[in-house]
Amino acid sequence: MNDPYQVLGISENASEEEIKRAYRELARKYHPDNYHDNPLADLAQEKMKEINAAYEEINKRRSGGGTRSGGPGSAYAGGWQQSYSSGGSSILQQVRAAIQVGDIARAEALLNNISSHNAEWNFLKGAVCYRRGWMDEALRYYQTACQMEPNNPEYRRALNLMQNGSPYRSDGQPFGTLCAGNPCLTLCCAYTLCNGGYCCFI
Amino acid sequence: MFGYVRPPQDLPKEELDRFGRAYCGLCHALGERFGAAARFILNYDFTFLAILLSDPEEGPIYHGRCAAHPIHGRKRLESSEALALAADESMILAYWQARDGIEDHDWFYGLKYRAVASVFESAYRKAAKARPNFDRSTRSQLCLLSDLERENCPSMDRAADTFAILLQGAAQGVEDPVRRRVLEQIFYHLGRWVYLVDAADDLKKDAVSGNYNPVALRYGLAEGAWTEEAKKEFAATLDHSIHMMVTAFELWDFGVWTPVLENTLYTGLFRVGKAVLDGTFRKRGKKRDTQERNT
Repeated sequence: MNDPYQVLGISENASEEEIKRAYRELARKYHPDNYHDNPLADLAQEKMKEINAAYEEINKRRSGGGTRSGGPGSAYAGGWQQSYSSGGSSILQQVRAAIQVGDIARAEALLNNISSHNAEWNFLKGAVCYRRGWMDEALRYYQTACQMEPNNPEYRRALNLMQNGSPYRSDGQPFGTLCAGNPCLTLCCAYTLCNGGYCCFI
Repeated sequence: MFGYVRPPQDLPKEELDRFGRAYCGLCHALGERFGAAARFILNYDFTFLAILLSDPEEGPIYHGRCAAHPIHGRKRLESSEALALAADESMILAYWQARDGIEDHDWFYGLKYRAVASVFESAYRKAAKARPNFDRSTRSQLCLLSDLERENCPSMDRAADTFAILLQGAAQGVEDPVRRRVLEQIFYHLGRWVYLVDAADDLKKDAVSGNYNPVALRYGLAEGAWTEEAKKEFAATLDHSIHMMVTAFELWDFGVWTPVLENTLYTGLFRVGKAVLDGTFRKRGKKRDTQERNT
C-alpha cells in the first residue's frame, strides 16, 4: 500500500482537522455521483477504495493500533453498484446486462431491434448514449423517459445527475460555460508566447 | 478546426514559463523532424496535446536560439518520445485539416489550402509512416465526417463523434492501459467540444454560405442567430463534455503539468465557449471573415 499520508496529500504532522478536510475533499471529488454512467467509473471506484484505506490506516496509527468504527468513510462507501439488473421485458434485461459489463455496442444493437419505445427503452438508450459520449442525445432520452414515467426514481436520478451534477472543485469556482469570466480573448495571441510570430494560421 | 484551446492564464509565472517551454519544445521537435516550415503548424491545441502526452516530470531543459527568438533565445523542453509523438500527430492533423480545406472551398479559395498541403506533403508522409495507425484512423474519420456533412446529418452528436474519435486516436500510442483510457476520454471529449465550438463559431458564416452546420440544424436556428433557450442547452452540452474531461483528468497523475492542465480544463475552455456564444471570440484566421461581414 502507498504511504497513506501521500494518498491524502498531507504531511505526517497534519492535524486531525486537516486530515478530515483532505479526506472529505478527495471523497467528494471521486464520489460515485460524479462518475455516474461514466466509462471510467471503475477507476474512480479504485481511487475511492485507496482513499478510504489510507484514511482508515491513518486513524488506526493515530489511535495506537486500535480500529475505529464509523467515521466519514461510511458515508461514501455505498452507491457504486449502479445496478442495471431490474425490471422490464427480457430483451431490456439483456440490454441492462450488456451495459453493466460495458458492452455498449451490444446494448445498442439490442435496443435498435426493439420497436416499442417505452420509458425504460428511452432510459437505457440514454445510458448508452451517455457512455458513448453523445451527451446531447443522452439528455434528451433521459428527459423522454422521465416524461413518460415521472415517478420512476431510477430515471429521475439519471436526469438529475446529468442536469445538476458538476464536478467538485475545492476552490469553489462555478462550473459552467455560461458563468465563465470573459477576459479579452482577442488579446490572447499577443499576451504571452506568440510574439515571436509562430502562431496557428491553419 | 483548431485554435480554440488558449494558453493558460492567471497562473504563477513559473507555470506559464513551463507551458512556454512545452510550446517551444514542440516547435523545435516539429522543426527537427520535418524541417523549418513545419514549425508554422504549431498552435496551442497541439501544445495541449503534447502536454497531455508528456511524462509527469519535465525532463531536461535546453536554452537555445531560433528564428523567432534569434537574440535572447528561449528555454525549451528537450526532445522526448512524447514530443515526437505529439509532433507526428500534429503534422498528420494539420495536413488533413488542409486537405479538408481544399474539399470545402472552391478552386480560388482552395488555393491557400492546396499550397499548405503541398508544402507539407513530404513531412506528412514521414509522419504517417511513423504513426500509420493514427494516420489511418484520422483519414477514415474524416471520410465519415464528410459523408455526414453531405447527408446533412441532423444529429449534432453523431457529427461531433467523428472528430471526437479522430482525436481520441491520439492516445493509441500510450502504453499504460489506465493512462490510455484516461487520455482517450479526455481526447474524445476535447474533440467533441472543439467540433461543437467550431460549429457554433461558424453559425453566421454557414448561414450565409449554406454550408452544413450541425448546431444550426439541431436547434433549428434561423440565419445563424441563437435563441436564449438554444444557447442554454448548447452551453449545457459543452459543459457535459468538460465534465467528462475533468473527471477523467482527476484519475491520472499528470505531475508537474497538473496546474497548467487544470487551468485549461477548469477555466480556459469555459471562457472560450462563452466568448464564442457571446460572439466575442476571434481566432486569427477568422478575423478577416468577420471584417468582411461587417463591411
